[in-house]
Amino acid sequence: MKYMLMLFEPETDWEAHPDELRASLAEHDAFSKWLKERGITEVGGEALRGPSTATTLRKVGDEMVVTDGPFAELKEHLGGYYIIDAKDLDEAIEAARRCPTGTVTEIRPIWDMTDYT
Amino acid sequence: MLATVVRLTRDLDAAQDAVQEAFAAAVPAWRANGVPANPGAWLTTTARRKAVSARRHVSALESRLPLLVVDEPGPTDPFPDDRLRLLFTCCHPALDLAARVALTLNVVCGLPTADIGRIFLVPDSTMAARVTRAKRKIRAAGIPYRVPAPDEIPERLPSVLATVYLFFVQGHTPPRGEELTAAGVTARALDLSRVLAALLPDEPEVVGLLALLLLTEARRPARVDTAGAPVLLADQDRARWDRRLIAEGLALVRPEPRGPYAIQAAIAAVHALAPQAADTDWTAIVRLYDDLLAVHPSPVAALARTMAYAEVAGPSAGLAAVDLLAADSRLAGYHVLPAARADLLRRLGRSVESAQEYARAAELAGNAAERAYLLARAAEHGYGSPPRLT
Repeated sequence: MKYMLMLFEPETDWEAHPDELRASLAEHDAFSKWLKERGITEVGGEALRGPSTATTLRKVGDEMVVTDGPFAELKEHLGGYYIIDAKDLDEAIEAARRCPTGTVTEIRPIWDMTDYT
Repeated sequence: MLATVVRLTRDLDAAQDAVQEAFAAAVPAWRANGVPANPGAWLTTTARRKAVSARRHVSALESRLPLLVVDEPGPTDPFPDDRLRLLFTCCHPALDLAARVALTLNVVCGLPTADIGRIFLVPDSTMAARVTRAKRKIRAAGIPYRVPAPDEIPERLPSVLATVYLFFVQGHTPPRGEELTAAGVTARALDLSRVLAALLPDEPEVVGLLALLLLTEARRPARVDTAGAPVLLADQDRARWDRRLIAEGLALVRPEPRGPYAIQAAIAAVHALAPQAADTDWTAIVRLYDDLLAVHPSPVAALARTMAYAEVAGPSAGLAAVDLLAADSRLAGYHVLPAARADLLRRLGRSVESAQEYARAAELAGNAAERAYLLARAAEHGYGSPPRLT
Protein backbone atom coordinates (compact mmCIF):
# COMPACT_ATOMS: atom_id res chain seq x y z
CA MET A 1 0.00 0.00 0.00
CA LYS A 2 1.32 3.42 -0.94
CA TYR A 3 1.59 6.25 1.56
CA MET A 4 2.70 9.86 1.33
CA LEU A 5 4.83 11.16 4.18
CA MET A 6 4.39 14.92 4.34
CA LEU A 7 7.23 16.65 6.16
CA PHE A 8 6.38 19.92 7.86
CA GLU A 9 9.01 22.31 9.15
CA PRO A 10 9.44 25.96 10.17
CA GLU A 11 10.58 28.15 7.27
CA THR A 12 14.36 27.97 7.00
CA ASP A 13 16.67 29.83 4.64
CA TRP A 14 18.64 26.71 3.73
CA GLU A 15 20.81 28.48 1.13
CA ALA A 16 22.19 30.79 3.83
CA HIS A 17 23.30 27.70 5.79
CA PRO A 18 24.99 25.38 3.28
CA ASP A 19 26.56 23.20 6.00
CA GLU A 20 23.22 22.48 7.61
CA LEU A 21 21.71 21.82 4.21
CA ARG A 22 24.45 19.26 3.44
CA ALA A 23 23.96 17.63 6.84
CA SER A 24 20.21 17.41 6.24
CA LEU A 25 20.73 15.88 2.80
CA ALA A 26 23.04 13.30 4.33
CA GLU A 27 20.26 12.37 6.81
CA HIS A 28 17.83 11.94 3.94
CA ASP A 29 20.34 9.76 2.08
CA ALA A 30 20.67 7.61 5.17
CA PHE A 31 16.86 7.37 5.37
CA SER A 32 16.65 6.22 1.74
CA LYS A 33 19.26 3.60 2.48
CA TRP A 34 17.33 2.42 5.53
CA LEU A 35 14.12 2.11 3.46
CA LYS A 36 15.96 -0.09 0.99
CA GLU A 37 17.39 -2.32 3.73
CA ARG A 38 13.96 -2.55 5.39
CA GLY A 39 12.41 -3.65 2.09
CA ILE A 40 10.14 -0.61 1.77
CA THR A 41 10.05 0.78 -1.77
CA GLU A 42 10.72 4.50 -2.10
CA VAL A 43 8.36 5.44 -4.92
CA GLY A 44 9.40 9.08 -4.91
CA GLY A 45 10.22 12.09 -2.83
CA GLU A 46 11.22 15.70 -3.28
CA ALA A 47 12.11 18.78 -1.27
CA LEU A 48 10.04 21.90 -1.86
CA ARG A 49 11.20 25.52 -2.03
CA GLY A 50 9.95 27.66 0.85
CA PRO A 51 6.47 29.22 1.18
CA SER A 52 7.80 32.67 0.19
CA THR A 53 8.22 31.23 -3.32
CA ALA A 54 4.67 29.89 -3.46
CA THR A 55 1.98 31.10 -5.86
CA THR A 56 -1.66 30.38 -5.12
CA LEU A 57 -4.64 30.40 -7.47
CA ARG A 58 -7.99 30.96 -5.88
CA LYS A 59 -11.41 30.60 -7.44
CA VAL A 60 -13.24 33.95 -7.45
CA GLY A 61 -16.54 33.58 -9.31
CA ASP A 62 -15.65 31.75 -12.52
CA GLU A 63 -12.07 32.97 -12.51
CA MET A 64 -8.87 31.61 -10.98
CA VAL A 65 -7.10 34.62 -9.49
CA VAL A 66 -3.35 34.38 -9.07
CA THR A 67 -1.86 35.61 -5.75
CA ASP A 68 1.53 35.58 -4.08
CA GLY A 69 2.13 33.27 -1.12
CA PRO A 70 1.04 29.85 0.16
CA PHE A 71 -2.55 28.60 0.47
CA ALA A 72 -2.43 28.88 4.27
CA GLU A 73 0.01 30.80 6.46
CA LEU A 74 1.19 28.30 9.05
CA LYS A 75 4.07 28.19 11.51
CA GLU A 76 5.18 24.98 9.83
CA HIS A 77 4.88 24.44 6.12
CA LEU A 78 5.16 21.49 3.78
CA GLY A 79 8.90 21.27 3.19
CA GLY A 80 8.97 18.02 1.28
CA TYR A 81 7.47 14.60 0.88
CA TYR A 82 8.15 10.92 0.30
CA ILE A 83 5.91 8.37 -1.32
CA ILE A 84 6.63 4.88 -0.01
CA ASP A 85 5.13 1.47 -0.67
CA ALA A 86 4.67 -0.16 2.75
CA LYS A 87 2.93 -3.31 3.94
CA ASP A 88 0.49 -1.49 6.20
CA LEU A 89 0.09 1.61 8.36
CA ASP A 90 2.34 0.21 11.09
CA GLU A 91 5.20 -0.10 8.61
CA ALA A 92 4.49 3.42 7.31
CA ILE A 93 4.58 4.73 10.90
CA GLU A 94 7.89 2.93 11.46
CA ALA A 95 9.28 4.64 8.34
CA ALA A 96 7.89 8.05 9.34
CA ARG A 97 9.62 7.73 12.71
CA ARG A 98 12.94 7.22 10.94
CA CYS A 99 12.33 9.98 8.42
CA PRO A 100 14.27 13.20 9.07
CA THR A 101 11.73 15.97 9.53
CA GLY A 102 11.32 19.43 10.99
CA THR A 103 8.52 19.16 13.52
CA VAL A 104 5.57 17.25 12.09
CA THR A 105 5.09 14.33 9.72
CA GLU A 106 1.66 13.53 8.35
CA ILE A 107 0.98 10.12 6.80
CA ARG A 108 -1.74 9.84 4.16
CA PRO A 109 -2.65 6.66 2.28
CA ILE A 110 -2.52 7.09 -1.49
CA TRP A 111 -5.92 6.38 -2.99
CA ASP A 112 -5.59 3.65 -5.58
CA MET A 113 -7.88 4.83 -8.38
CA THR A 114 -7.46 1.80 -10.64
CA ASP A 115 -10.75 0.48 -9.21
CA TYR A 116 -12.57 3.42 -10.79
CA THR A 117 -11.03 3.42 -14.26
CA MET B 1 -16.85 -15.92 16.68
CA LEU B 2 -16.71 -12.46 15.09
CA ALA B 3 -12.94 -12.44 15.43
CA THR B 4 -12.71 -15.72 13.52
CA VAL B 5 -14.98 -14.51 10.75
CA VAL B 6 -13.08 -11.21 10.41
CA ARG B 7 -9.95 -13.12 9.59
CA LEU B 8 -11.82 -14.65 6.71
CA THR B 9 -13.63 -11.54 5.43
CA ARG B 10 -10.92 -9.04 6.36
CA ASP B 11 -13.75 -6.54 6.73
CA LEU B 12 -15.44 -5.72 10.05
CA ASP B 13 -18.80 -4.76 8.54
CA ALA B 14 -19.03 -7.86 6.37
CA ALA B 15 -18.10 -10.08 9.33
CA GLN B 16 -20.72 -8.47 11.58
CA ASP B 17 -23.39 -8.95 8.92
CA ALA B 18 -22.44 -12.60 8.47
CA VAL B 19 -22.59 -13.28 12.22
CA GLN B 20 -26.01 -11.63 12.44
CA GLU B 21 -27.28 -13.72 9.53
CA ALA B 22 -25.98 -16.87 11.20
CA PHE B 23 -27.98 -16.13 14.34
CA ALA B 24 -31.08 -15.41 12.24
CA ALA B 25 -30.61 -18.72 10.40
CA ALA B 26 -30.17 -20.65 13.66
CA VAL B 27 -33.76 -20.16 14.84
CA PRO B 28 -35.57 -21.99 11.98
CA ALA B 29 -32.74 -24.53 11.53
CA TRP B 30 -32.58 -25.54 15.18
CA ARG B 31 -36.39 -25.62 15.43
CA ALA B 32 -36.50 -28.03 12.49
CA ASN B 33 -33.51 -30.23 13.33
CA GLY B 34 -32.96 -29.69 17.02
CA VAL B 35 -30.16 -27.74 18.69
CA PRO B 36 -26.74 -29.02 17.48
CA ALA B 37 -24.29 -30.60 19.92
CA ASN B 38 -21.99 -27.58 19.71
CA PRO B 39 -24.12 -24.48 19.00
CA GLY B 40 -21.11 -22.15 19.01
CA ALA B 41 -19.31 -24.15 16.33
CA TRP B 42 -22.51 -24.36 14.29
CA LEU B 43 -22.90 -20.57 14.39
CA THR B 44 -19.25 -19.93 13.51
CA THR B 45 -19.37 -22.34 10.57
CA THR B 46 -22.63 -20.82 9.32
CA ALA B 47 -21.29 -17.27 9.71
CA ARG B 48 -18.16 -18.20 7.78
CA ARG B 49 -20.31 -19.72 5.02
CA LYS B 50 -22.52 -16.60 4.94
CA ALA B 51 -19.44 -14.40 4.77
CA VAL B 52 -18.01 -16.38 1.85
CA SER B 53 -21.25 -16.25 -0.12
CA ALA B 54 -21.68 -12.54 0.66
CA ARG B 55 -18.22 -11.89 -0.66
CA ARG B 56 -19.08 -13.61 -3.94
CA HIS B 57 -22.03 -11.29 -4.34
CA VAL B 58 -20.36 -7.95 -3.73
CA SER B 59 -19.65 -5.89 -6.80
CA ALA B 60 -16.35 -6.16 -8.56
CA LEU B 61 -15.57 -2.63 -7.44
CA GLU B 62 -16.10 -3.30 -3.76
CA SER B 63 -14.25 -6.57 -3.74
CA ARG B 64 -11.16 -4.76 -4.93
CA LEU B 65 -11.29 -2.02 -2.32
CA PRO B 66 -8.37 -2.36 0.04
CA LEU B 67 -9.48 -4.52 2.96
CA LEU B 68 -8.07 -5.05 6.41
CA VAL B 69 -4.50 -6.16 6.10
CA VAL B 70 -4.22 -9.68 7.47
CA ASP B 71 -1.08 -11.61 8.21
CA GLU B 72 -1.08 -15.17 7.03
CA PRO B 73 -2.59 -17.20 9.89
CA GLY B 74 -0.16 -19.61 11.49
CA PRO B 75 -1.02 -23.31 11.61
CA THR B 76 -1.83 -23.24 15.33
CA ASP B 77 -3.53 -19.86 15.60
CA PRO B 78 -6.06 -20.39 18.36
CA PHE B 79 -9.29 -18.44 18.80
CA PRO B 80 -8.06 -16.16 21.63
CA ASP B 81 -5.37 -14.82 19.34
CA ASP B 82 -8.07 -13.69 16.90
CA ARG B 83 -9.80 -11.75 19.66
CA LEU B 84 -6.51 -10.14 20.63
CA ARG B 85 -5.84 -9.11 17.04
CA LEU B 86 -9.28 -7.54 16.90
CA LEU B 87 -8.62 -5.66 20.14
CA PHE B 88 -5.27 -4.31 18.97
CA THR B 89 -6.80 -3.25 15.65
CA CYS B 90 -9.71 -1.45 17.33
CA CYS B 91 -7.32 0.22 19.80
CA HIS B 92 -4.75 1.33 17.23
CA PRO B 93 -3.17 4.65 18.27
CA ALA B 94 -3.91 6.05 14.79
CA LEU B 95 -7.59 6.07 15.80
CA ASP B 96 -9.10 8.78 17.97
CA LEU B 97 -9.46 7.60 21.62
CA ALA B 98 -13.24 8.06 21.70
CA ALA B 99 -13.52 6.15 18.43
CA ARG B 100 -11.33 3.36 19.83
CA VAL B 101 -13.66 2.81 22.77
CA ALA B 102 -16.75 2.91 20.57
CA LEU B 103 -15.22 0.54 18.03
CA THR B 104 -14.02 -1.89 20.70
CA LEU B 105 -17.45 -2.00 22.32
CA ASN B 106 -19.10 -2.52 18.96
CA VAL B 107 -16.71 -5.01 17.40
CA VAL B 108 -15.09 -6.85 20.33
CA CYS B 109 -18.02 -6.72 22.81
CA GLY B 110 -20.81 -6.84 20.22
CA LEU B 111 -22.66 -3.85 21.67
CA PRO B 112 -25.05 -2.11 19.21
CA THR B 113 -24.19 1.53 18.48
CA ALA B 114 -27.47 2.67 20.12
CA ASP B 115 -26.34 1.13 23.44
CA ILE B 116 -22.87 2.66 23.12
CA GLY B 117 -24.54 6.01 22.42
CA ARG B 118 -26.49 5.66 25.67
CA ILE B 119 -23.28 5.00 27.62
CA PHE B 120 -21.60 8.10 26.19
CA LEU B 121 -24.81 10.15 26.17
CA VAL B 122 -24.74 10.88 22.47
CA PRO B 123 -27.46 10.08 19.91
CA ASP B 124 -27.31 6.72 18.12
CA SER B 125 -26.75 8.48 14.78
CA THR B 126 -23.65 10.24 16.16
CA MET B 127 -22.24 7.02 17.59
CA ALA B 128 -23.02 5.06 14.41
CA ALA B 129 -21.22 7.73 12.37
CA ARG B 130 -18.22 7.58 14.72
CA VAL B 131 -17.96 3.80 14.42
CA THR B 132 -18.40 3.91 10.63
CA ARG B 133 -15.69 6.56 10.31
CA ALA B 134 -13.28 4.49 12.38
CA LYS B 135 -13.97 1.33 10.34
CA ARG B 136 -13.41 3.29 7.14
CA LYS B 137 -10.09 4.60 8.40
CA ILE B 138 -8.95 1.09 9.36
CA ARG B 139 -9.62 -0.01 5.80
CA ALA B 140 -8.45 3.04 3.85
CA ALA B 141 -5.33 3.75 5.91
CA GLY B 142 -4.29 0.09 6.03
CA ILE B 143 -4.35 -0.38 9.81
CA PRO B 144 -3.19 -3.99 10.11
CA TYR B 145 -5.18 -6.78 11.70
CA ARG B 146 -2.48 -8.37 13.80
CA VAL B 147 -1.07 -8.72 17.28
CA PRO B 148 1.99 -6.46 17.60
CA ALA B 149 5.38 -8.16 17.89
CA PRO B 150 6.71 -8.50 21.46
CA ASP B 151 9.04 -5.52 21.03
CA GLU B 152 6.10 -3.36 19.89
CA ILE B 153 3.85 -4.32 22.83
CA PRO B 154 5.21 -1.66 25.24
CA GLU B 155 4.29 1.03 22.74
CA ARG B 156 0.92 -0.38 21.69
CA LEU B 157 -0.41 -1.66 25.00
CA PRO B 158 -1.09 1.74 26.66
CA SER B 159 -3.64 2.50 23.95
CA VAL B 160 -5.52 -0.75 24.66
CA LEU B 161 -5.34 -0.25 28.44
CA ALA B 162 -6.52 3.37 28.14
CA THR B 163 -9.50 2.17 26.10
CA VAL B 164 -10.56 -0.40 28.71
CA TYR B 165 -9.94 2.08 31.54
CA LEU B 166 -11.96 4.85 29.88
CA PHE B 167 -14.79 2.38 29.29
CA PHE B 168 -14.78 1.45 33.00
CA VAL B 169 -14.63 5.07 34.20
CA GLN B 170 -17.60 5.88 31.98
CA GLY B 171 -19.64 3.45 34.09
CA HIS B 172 -17.95 4.17 37.42
CA THR B 173 -18.80 7.88 37.41
CA PRO B 174 -20.69 8.97 34.30
CA PRO B 175 -19.48 12.51 33.46
CA ARG B 176 -23.07 13.67 33.05
CA GLY B 177 -26.49 12.34 33.81
CA GLU B 178 -28.44 11.52 36.95
CA GLU B 179 -27.08 8.25 38.33
CA LEU B 180 -23.70 8.07 40.03
CA THR B 181 -22.81 4.67 38.61
CA ALA B 182 -23.85 2.53 35.68
CA ALA B 183 -23.44 -1.05 36.88
CA GLY B 184 -23.86 -2.76 33.49
CA VAL B 185 -21.07 -0.66 32.00
CA THR B 186 -18.49 -1.40 34.70
CA ALA B 187 -19.33 -5.11 34.54
CA ARG B 188 -18.66 -5.19 30.81
CA ALA B 189 -15.44 -3.23 31.20
CA LEU B 190 -14.37 -5.71 33.86
CA ASP B 191 -15.13 -8.59 31.47
CA LEU B 192 -12.98 -6.99 28.81
CA SER B 193 -10.16 -6.44 31.30
CA ARG B 194 -10.40 -10.11 32.36
CA VAL B 195 -10.18 -11.24 28.74
CA LEU B 196 -7.11 -9.06 28.23
CA ALA B 197 -5.45 -10.44 31.37
CA ALA B 198 -6.20 -14.00 30.24
CA LEU B 199 -4.59 -13.27 26.86
CA LEU B 200 -1.55 -11.34 28.14
CA PRO B 201 -0.98 -12.77 31.64
CA ASP B 202 2.70 -11.77 31.71
CA GLU B 203 2.17 -8.04 31.15
CA PRO B 204 2.30 -6.33 34.59
CA GLU B 205 0.18 -3.39 33.44
CA VAL B 206 -2.54 -5.64 32.03
CA VAL B 207 -2.74 -7.49 35.35
CA GLY B 208 -2.43 -4.16 37.20
CA LEU B 209 -5.38 -2.69 35.32
CA LEU B 210 -7.53 -5.73 36.13
CA ALA B 211 -6.57 -5.50 39.81
CA LEU B 212 -7.38 -1.78 39.85
CA LEU B 213 -10.78 -2.30 38.24
CA LEU B 214 -11.65 -5.22 40.57
CA LEU B 215 -10.72 -3.31 43.72
CA THR B 216 -12.58 -0.21 42.52
CA GLU B 217 -15.66 -2.16 41.45
CA ALA B 218 -15.68 -3.90 44.86
CA ARG B 219 -16.50 -0.57 46.52
CA ARG B 220 -19.45 0.19 44.23
CA PRO B 221 -22.21 -1.16 46.54
CA ALA B 222 -21.05 1.25 49.27
CA ARG B 223 -20.50 4.30 47.08
CA VAL B 224 -24.17 5.30 46.95
CA ASP B 225 -26.64 5.54 49.85
CA THR B 226 -30.29 4.49 49.65
CA ALA B 227 -31.23 7.96 48.38
CA GLY B 228 -28.73 7.66 45.51
CA ALA B 229 -26.32 10.20 47.01
CA PRO B 230 -22.55 9.56 46.87
CA VAL B 231 -20.79 8.30 50.01
CA LEU B 232 -17.14 9.32 50.38
CA LEU B 233 -14.52 6.60 50.82
CA ALA B 234 -14.00 7.58 54.47
CA ASP B 235 -17.72 7.26 55.25
CA GLN B 236 -18.44 4.05 53.34
CA ASP B 237 -19.85 1.02 55.13
CA ARG B 238 -17.00 -1.37 54.43
CA ALA B 239 -19.20 -4.37 55.21
CA ARG B 240 -20.91 -3.61 51.89
CA TRP B 241 -17.69 -3.92 49.89
CA ASP B 242 -17.65 -6.96 47.63
CA ARG B 243 -15.23 -9.34 49.39
CA ARG B 244 -15.07 -11.72 46.41
CA LEU B 245 -13.88 -8.96 44.06
CA ILE B 246 -11.43 -7.69 46.69
CA ALA B 247 -9.90 -11.15 47.10
CA GLU B 248 -9.60 -11.53 43.33
CA GLY B 249 -8.03 -8.07 43.03
CA LEU B 250 -5.62 -8.42 45.95
CA ALA B 251 -4.29 -11.68 44.50
CA LEU B 252 -3.21 -9.72 41.42
CA VAL B 253 -1.40 -6.89 43.22
CA ARG B 254 2.37 -7.36 43.01
CA PRO B 255 5.01 -5.86 45.30
CA GLU B 256 7.09 -3.02 43.85
CA PRO B 257 4.68 -2.01 41.09
CA ARG B 258 6.21 0.12 38.34
CA GLY B 259 3.51 1.00 35.79
CA PRO B 260 0.73 3.54 36.41
CA TYR B 261 -2.10 0.97 36.53
CA ALA B 262 -0.22 -1.43 38.80
CA ILE B 263 0.64 1.45 41.16
CA GLN B 264 -2.98 2.62 41.27
CA ALA B 265 -4.01 -0.97 41.99
CA ALA B 266 -1.55 -1.00 44.91
CA ILE B 267 -3.16 2.20 46.24
CA ALA B 268 -6.61 0.64 45.97
CA ALA B 269 -5.22 -2.42 47.78
CA VAL B 270 -4.10 -0.29 50.76
CA HIS B 271 -7.69 0.99 51.07
CA ALA B 272 -9.10 -2.51 50.67
CA LEU B 273 -6.86 -3.85 53.46
CA ALA B 274 -7.97 -1.23 56.02
CA PRO B 275 -10.85 -2.65 58.13
CA GLN B 276 -11.98 0.93 58.90
CA ALA B 277 -11.11 4.26 57.25
CA ALA B 278 -9.12 5.23 60.37
CA ASP B 279 -6.87 2.16 59.87
CA THR B 280 -5.70 3.34 56.42
CA ASP B 281 -1.92 3.36 55.94
CA TRP B 282 -1.76 6.88 54.49
CA THR B 283 2.06 6.97 54.56
CA ALA B 284 2.11 4.00 52.19
CA ILE B 285 -0.45 5.72 49.96
CA VAL B 286 1.56 8.96 49.78
CA ARG B 287 4.64 6.93 48.83
CA LEU B 288 2.71 5.11 46.10
CA TYR B 289 1.39 8.41 44.72
CA ASP B 290 4.99 9.65 44.60
CA ASP B 291 5.85 6.56 42.53
CA LEU B 292 2.84 7.22 40.31
CA LEU B 293 3.78 10.87 39.74
CA ALA B 294 7.32 9.80 38.86
CA VAL B 295 6.16 7.54 36.02
CA HIS B 296 2.96 9.34 35.05
CA PRO B 297 2.83 12.99 36.13
CA SER B 298 -0.74 14.27 36.07
CA PRO B 299 -2.38 17.15 37.96
CA VAL B 300 -5.26 14.89 39.02
CA ALA B 301 -2.86 12.37 40.59
CA ALA B 302 -0.96 15.25 42.22
CA LEU B 303 -4.23 16.43 43.81
CA ALA B 304 -4.98 12.92 45.08
CA ARG B 305 -1.48 12.72 46.55
CA THR B 306 -2.05 16.02 48.34
CA MET B 307 -5.28 14.73 49.91
CA ALA B 308 -3.43 11.64 51.15
CA TYR B 309 -0.66 13.90 52.45
CA ALA B 310 -3.27 15.92 54.40
CA GLU B 311 -4.19 12.70 56.23
CA VAL B 312 -0.55 12.30 57.30
CA ALA B 313 0.44 15.93 57.92
CA GLY B 314 -2.89 17.46 58.92
CA PRO B 315 -5.45 19.68 57.15
CA SER B 316 -3.41 22.89 57.48
CA ALA B 317 -0.37 21.48 55.66
CA GLY B 318 -2.75 19.78 53.22
CA LEU B 319 -4.47 23.05 52.38
CA ALA B 320 -1.14 24.75 51.71
CA ALA B 321 -0.22 21.91 49.33
CA VAL B 322 -3.59 22.06 47.54
CA ASP B 323 -3.23 25.81 47.08
CA LEU B 324 0.13 25.24 45.38
CA LEU B 325 -1.63 22.96 42.88
CA ALA B 326 -4.49 25.41 42.30
CA ALA B 327 -2.15 27.46 40.10
CA ASP B 328 -2.11 24.59 37.54
CA SER B 329 -4.43 25.74 34.75
CA ARG B 330 -5.17 22.10 33.83
CA LEU B 331 -7.12 21.78 37.08
CA ALA B 332 -9.28 24.85 36.35
CA GLY B 333 -12.84 23.60 35.98
CA TYR B 334 -12.11 20.31 37.77
CA HIS B 335 -14.72 20.11 40.53
CA VAL B 336 -12.59 17.91 42.82
CA LEU B 337 -10.17 20.81 43.46
CA PRO B 338 -12.70 23.11 45.22
CA ALA B 339 -14.28 20.03 46.85
CA ALA B 340 -10.87 19.11 48.31
CA ARG B 341 -10.34 22.67 49.57
CA ALA B 342 -13.86 22.67 51.04
CA ASP B 343 -13.16 19.45 52.96
CA LEU B 344 -9.87 20.76 54.38
CA LEU B 345 -11.40 24.16 55.29
CA ARG B 346 -14.25 22.35 57.05
CA ARG B 347 -11.77 20.34 59.11
CA LEU B 348 -10.01 23.58 60.01
CA GLY B 349 -13.32 25.02 61.26
CA ARG B 350 -13.42 27.68 58.51
CA SER B 351 -17.03 26.86 57.69
CA VAL B 352 -18.02 29.94 55.66
CA GLU B 353 -15.10 29.52 53.24
CA SER B 354 -15.77 25.78 53.18
CA ALA B 355 -19.40 26.33 52.15
CA GLN B 356 -18.30 28.69 49.38
CA GLU B 357 -15.91 26.05 48.03
CA TYR B 358 -18.59 23.33 48.16
CA ALA B 359 -20.90 25.61 46.17
CA ARG B 360 -18.16 26.27 43.64
CA ALA B 361 -17.50 22.53 43.30
CA ALA B 362 -21.23 21.89 42.79
CA GLU B 363 -21.29 24.44 39.98
CA LEU B 364 -18.48 22.57 38.19
CA ALA B 365 -19.72 18.99 38.75
CA GLY B 366 -21.39 17.46 35.70
CA ASN B 367 -22.84 14.40 37.45
CA ALA B 368 -26.21 15.20 39.08
CA ALA B 369 -25.69 12.92 42.11
CA GLU B 370 -22.29 14.48 42.83
CA ARG B 371 -23.74 17.97 42.37
CA ALA B 372 -26.59 17.29 44.80
CA TYR B 373 -24.12 15.96 47.37
CA LEU B 374 -21.90 19.05 47.11
CA LEU B 375 -24.90 21.40 47.34
CA ALA B 376 -26.06 19.59 50.48
CA ARG B 377 -22.60 20.08 52.04
CA ALA B 378 -22.75 23.78 51.10
CA ALA B 379 -26.23 24.09 52.60
CA GLU B 380 -25.09 22.53 55.89
CA HIS B 381 -23.22 25.74 56.44
CA GLY B 382 -26.09 27.96 55.30
CA TYR B 383 -24.81 28.67 51.82
CA GLY B 384 -26.78 28.56 48.60
CA SER B 385 -30.24 27.23 47.95
CA PRO B 386 -31.39 24.13 49.85
CA PRO B 387 -30.76 20.99 47.82
CA ARG B 388 -33.69 18.97 46.59
CA LEU B 389 -32.97 15.38 47.41
CA THR B 390 -35.89 13.25 46.44
